[in-house]
Amino acid sequence: MKVINLVMTKKSSISLEFDNILPELLFDKSLRQINETIIYRGNKEEPLSHYFDVSIEGECDDAKECAIVIDGDLSRVKRIGFAMTCGKIIANSDVDFHVGACMSGGHIIVNGDAESYAGREMTGGLLEIKGSVKEFCGSSYAGEWRGMSGGQIIVHKNAGKQLAEYMIGGNIHIKGDCDILAGVHMSGGKIQIDGNVNQWFGGQMKKGTIIINGNVEKMLPGFVLEESIYHPLINGKQFIGKYGLYSGDKTVKGKGRIWIKK
Amino acid sequence: MIEKPITDYDEEVRNCSCSYCGNNCDDITYLLKDKKIVGVRHACRIGASKIINDQDQRLLNPLVRNDEGILEETTWDVALDKTARLLYESDRPVLYGWGETSVEAIKKGIKIAEKTGAVMDNQSTICHGSSIQAFQNVGHPVMTLGEVKNRADVVVYVGTNPMDDHPRHLSRYTTFPEGFFRKNGRKDRTVITLDPKYTNTAKVSDEWIQFNMNEDYLLFDALRMLLKGESLDEEEIAGVPTSQLENLIQIMKNAEYGALFFGLGVSQTLGKQKNVDMLIQLVEDLNRYSKWSMLPMRGFFNVSGFNIALTSETGYPYGVDFSRGYPRFMVGETTTIDLLNRREPDFFMAISADPGVQFPGYTIKHLINIPTIQIDTHWGPYTELADIVLPSTRVGVETEGTAYRMDSIPLFMKKVIDKPENCHSDEWILTQLYERIEILKQEEDN
Amino acid sequence: MEYILKNGVVFDPKNDIDGEQMDIFIKDNVIVDKVSSKAKKLDVSGKLVMPGGVDLHSHIAGPKLSIGRLYRPEDIRKGIKPASKNDISGFEAGFSLPTCPTIGYRYTKMGYTTVTEAAVPPLEAKHAHEEINSIPNLDIPTLTLFGNNWFMLKYVKEKRFDDLKVFISKWLKLAKGYGIKIVNPCGSEAWGWGKNVDGLDDPEPHWGVTGREVIQALTEVNEKLGLPHSVHVHTNDLGHPGNYATTLETFDCVKHIKKNENVDRNQIMHCTHVQFHAYKGTSWRDVSSGASELIDYINKNDHLTCDVGQITFDETTTMTADAPMEYDLFRLTGLKWANKDIEVETASGLIPSIYSSHAPVSVLQWAVGLEFFMGVKDPWKIVLTTDSPNGGPFIRYPRIISWLMSQEKLQDMLDNEVHNWATNRTDLGTYDREYSWNEIATITRAGPAKILGLTDRGHLGVGAKADVSVYDIDVDKFDCTLKSNSETLENKLLNSKYTIKDGEILVKDGNIVKLVNSNHIWCNVLGLENEEKVLIDRIKPEFNKYYTIKYENYGVNDHYIQPDTRMDVNYGGEL
Repeated sequence: MKVINLVMTKKSSISLEFDNILPELLFDKSLRQINETIIYRGNKEEPLSHYFDVSIEGECDDAKECAIVIDGDLSRVKRIGFAMTCGKIIANSDVDFHVGACMSGGHIIVNGDAESYAGREMTGGLLEIKGSVKEFCGSSYAGEWRGMSGGQIIVHKNAGKQLAEYMIGGNIHIKGDCDILAGVHMSGGKIQIDGNVNQWFGGQMKKGTIIINGNVEKMLPGFVLEESIYHPLINGKQFIGKYGLYSGDKTVKGKGRIWIKK
Repeated sequence: MIEKPITDYDEEVRNCSCSYCGNNCDDITYLLKDKKIVGVRHACRIGASKIINDQDQRLLNPLVRNDEGILEETTWDVALDKTARLLYESDRPVLYGWGETSVEAIKKGIKIAEKTGAVMDNQSTICHGSSIQAFQNVGHPVMTLGEVKNRADVVVYVGTNPMDDHPRHLSRYTTFPEGFFRKNGRKDRTVITLDPKYTNTAKVSDEWIQFNMNEDYLLFDALRMLLKGESLDEEEIAGVPTSQLENLIQIMKNAEYGALFFGLGVSQTLGKQKNVDMLIQLVEDLNRYSKWSMLPMRGFFNVSGFNIALTSETGYPYGVDFSRGYPRFMVGETTTIDLLNRREPDFFMAISADPGVQFPGYTIKHLINIPTIQIDTHWGPYTELADIVLPSTRVGVETEGTAYRMDSIPLFMKKVIDKPENCHSDEWILTQLYERIEILKQEEDN
Repeated sequence: MEYILKNGVVFDPKNDIDGEQMDIFIKDNVIVDKVSSKAKKLDVSGKLVMPGGVDLHSHIAGPKLSIGRLYRPEDIRKGIKPASKNDISGFEAGFSLPTCPTIGYRYTKMGYTTVTEAAVPPLEAKHAHEEINSIPNLDIPTLTLFGNNWFMLKYVKEKRFDDLKVFISKWLKLAKGYGIKIVNPCGSEAWGWGKNVDGLDDPEPHWGVTGREVIQALTEVNEKLGLPHSVHVHTNDLGHPGNYATTLETFDCVKHIKKNENVDRNQIMHCTHVQFHAYKGTSWRDVSSGASELIDYINKNDHLTCDVGQITFDETTTMTADAPMEYDLFRLTGLKWANKDIEVETASGLIPSIYSSHAPVSVLQWAVGLEFFMGVKDPWKIVLTTDSPNGGPFIRYPRIISWLMSQEKLQDMLDNEVHNWATNRTDLGTYDREYSWNEIATITRAGPAKILGLTDRGHLGVGAKADVSVYDIDVDKFDCTLKSNSETLENKLLNSKYTIKDGEILVKDGNIVKLVNSNHIWCNVLGLENEEKVLIDRIKPEFNKYYTIKYENYGVNDHYIQPDTRMDVNYGGEL
């Protein structure tokens, strides 16, 4: 196991872009090489060492055995774990846009909140956010109709608008509340929301599952109550309590399933 | 109030293209006396006043703010050198505006943005950018306005009030004129306005459907349900009686050619791009039964041209970030308001736009802390913030150039009168800046 | 500037040079037979040398492209490539919808020097020409859409063919167009009411005019005017099973029309992307190839030529003035649909399209395209296109060439890669043809140049335009018939060793070394000026009533077409 510790020494008001700070790119690099790794700040390229103290513990032969631990105020550090394929990243702070977006493997833990676009178009791996996420978490990028297709996102607090837009696969678990238009255009995968959900969730939903344990506003007219079930088994997992199963959205002849705890 | 016709003129210039709104009316006659515009025919009031335009607010010389904070006149060389250097040395520059200049100038701007790693953005970011996002998600069924004039028997306006904002939209394009298949003009058409407010457009419509603010998404969703033959349990949706919606969808379904126009009332209320998304899908669905197309009511006369020029050159329509050398587009991240709210930019240049009027207060505050440049024709709130002012010329009046109408028809706008002596066109100013930036780059490379 | 291309292996079918090792001499912008001692020598010993590539049907500029880019940012994202280090060419963006500069870079690197924009509505011709100004390094003729124009429909309905002739002559000047394009004649007008026409003889609901009448009338006019290119026809019923019958009727419907005596081309009609028009059956379930009948007709008749519109297995974007067909595709796939109706002139539609080697219909289409390549015997009658980006983006031309040159590769695809409809429902498996370099040079250079009537290019004879492409392929050593060489072949054709246009080196060793402005090629008919003036005076009131812009603001101003090549055509009067 190799741990690369990055401690922020200087904060930049202009965001830093961290696409090059990935286990698979750094696991076999020397301290000097890591210090010299390019990060982006506005229209400039700078070495990582301008903003971070780097230290290394342990050794590994495989990127899977490599973890990057980032400390400091990362609220202006974008693209942490962007397109990550393996290994582990722990960010001990709030983080900026695109954390874990397009990731296909590995594990990211954010000990704080995440800006918009977290886990967008993710295909695999685990993205865990201990705080809240803003808009478009687990969604697709502009124009793309194939959003998050695999992997798992766990958010311990709340999610912003348009959660999981165009989701086609994978799992999302929001432990807090959720803003408008959750699961809009969804055509696969599963979302579980433990808190309250704002209106228009599941709009244009074709397939997939949404489970809501909190309170909901009125549903869109394209959903019909199929039945009410006690302790239902949903996608192989038992849920305790009485749940209403709705199907829709009829506007797109959808076969989506929304379970709402009564 | 009846204005007297203008008779005291010595020259007429016909078929000029108006430089006010996205209607780009190209049938305007300028009346000149001693090479000055003294009157305008055919234009609406707003267009005419913009074209005639008295000169007392006009920016006539380059200005630079001195150490006491006062704008003082300077030479072009000083102002351009200073601007070029500030831009060249900045890390997160934003070039914003462009709605009221020519495509030729915009293309120069794109070159500068690429060269300096800047963000290139226009008014879409605060207007129909969300509509463009929706087009990107679900489709783009549009038409040119002549299709509406010649064919439309049903015209629907949603969340827009053209009678006040695009005054000749109904009279020149959609409702009143005789069309090839609509010989009786207005009589051959049904006009319906959907708006929470009773507007002047609602006033001239056959029907006004009032719906609750911020329930657009639900309203259009319900209409789609009805179109698909589903029934609605509620008696009222978004504040509209279900029976009225049923009636509306029958009219839409039975149209021979339907045209739907929508404005910021749809694209900037709760749900934003998803409202438009739903509206587009409604139009797509309607094409199973009838022929329907739609168009956003674009504001300035060349916002559409900016989107087109930027997609031609970079692939993306607005909010293009060149910081990594190649274009990136991410709404919320590379768009002007968001960048300013995050306090990221360290240089801001507005070209033919007044952020002092267009931006929210919190957003504007950041402009006080960074170098700000204005390229514009007239004094405005933004001039009070600007560190350097580069006085430019009016496209379609003093300078020629290309603009794209709201339906993307290109028009070449004329130069009719001479510019004020010490003003220069946006294109000239930007070309000068580009050349100066190239020199700075060469100096650094050596 | 003078150059000698030393010792290349030259393929110049027009001049019967079939792989001869020889020198090519260039002085300024033309091919000459000798140069001075100051000429710069470029050693290309043993390398493949051909005339600059000529594409006679591609979609590269104008409103369809703009809409496509605007509504498919996910496609733009796919093709992002940072600028080259040499600071000459900029970034690239887009896959099936490249940005304007990217189009220029990619075509130039493939050794192409002339590319035809195949569908420009006159109302938005300024836009197309403005975009051409952002595409570097090519010569670009644009084809002007006439097949659903109201003035045309009126003249055909009222049989006023002289007015039609004058109208076309004038409108090419206004649009700065090169030739007449007909797309789904009458069908796109019917789309104004959400309808289509069914075949060649189904009258448009309002005008009562049929596709047959439109095609015949415009072909007559084209030959009377003596335009360098023939009518360029996208026949009715594109993409519908059973459409091969309509295509066959279309082929035959102009056979009786006499070709103008002064033109260089052989054909009086060019039928474009025939692959999309060659299906038998009644639905996508029972569809099969109708290519054999069409191939047979093409082999037996000399009045028409075609290009293929080959499918490559990509996620691309379809775009066409055949708007009702695009709505059909929307109904079929549910993918995001774009449409733009253009007043008085045409309509257009777009939709993303995913051609997969596992999807039976895609594979059938792929095989039908290849049937044409294999079956049409005379390579001068057939041109390599993908109807870019409809069948696939133009950067796939090299891949198609690698299929055409290797039976081993093609057989391997049939056996192991593609769905069995290719063998079960088409005759592709019955061919064993392999293209030679001479034939490749014909279908990508000599043929399209001749069909377009651009006599100064597509060959390397003395006096020809100095457009030359050289590839890093040792013709005598490199075996194109081997499957194992396919990928290498494709890469070498994608990145030329030299692309020379007008005597200037634009690409060297796969890198762009120079950018020049693209040249607008358009046709100017001389001898009808008075008639044009009379016609305009007469129709201007109608024009201003039914268009929403004024006639005075309609035409393409000269400054949009700098630099240009004006092809003057002397109208000879009635024969």
